[in-house]
Amino acid sequence: MEENKNPSFAIIVMSEELEKIHAAALIGSMAAMTGTTVNFFLTMNSLKAFLKENVSEKNFKTGDVGKAMIEKDVTLFPKLLETGKEMGDLNIYCCALAMDVMGWRKEDLIDIVDDVIGITTFLNMAQNAKVITV
Amino acid sequence: MSEPTVTESVDARGSYCPGPLMELVKTIKSAQVGDVIEILSNDEGSAKDIPVWVKKMKHELVYRKKVNDYWKIAIRKKH
Repeated sequence: MEENKNPSFAIIVMSEELEKIHAAALIGSMAAMTGTTVNFFLTMNSLKAFLKENVSEKNFKTGDVGKAMIEKDVTLFPKLLETGKEMGDLNIYCCALAMDVMGWRKEDLIDIVDDVIGITTFLNMAQNAKVITV
Repeated sequence: MSEPTVTESVDARGSYCPGPLMELVKTIKSAQVGDVIEILSNDEGSAKDIPVWVKKMKHELVYRKKVNDYWKIAIRKKH
């Protein structure tokens, strides 16, 4: 079998701040659209920003830039990630621990989430990848 | 010099970075090899990013010019 020589990013998102999640989505989606394999691991408070109810109400923790992005109706991270998935190899995984302790199920999160996994599975994917943490 | 015929023009003016590039990537994906796609954008970031993406993905930058307050950027799909 031919070895997959695509460069690969593993992006670990822990923060619930809109600016950090959006920056991670910018990097990840554009990298995916340029031929890089991108695997996101959403964990801890970041998962709050991916709950359907918070996305539909644009209920995010923000600073000044995040507030302005919402006011100016900038295309936010869910759409960036969706486009990255359509146009490239971009996968989004959630941390089973955080989901469990909060009682959230995959259906509570927006549809771009691929699966709920443990860290071992993610580490396996992240092998040889460049790791970005926000 | 005569300009190449534009197959499809996408007006992404008013779209924030990286919206225009995303529009271009989507349009290129569904275009035929040899098609020329033109993007209109008033985003300075995209004016710099689009040529970088085009080079990296080995397409061809046909032109990039500023008209009044926006950019016209044309790309030929090479593969």
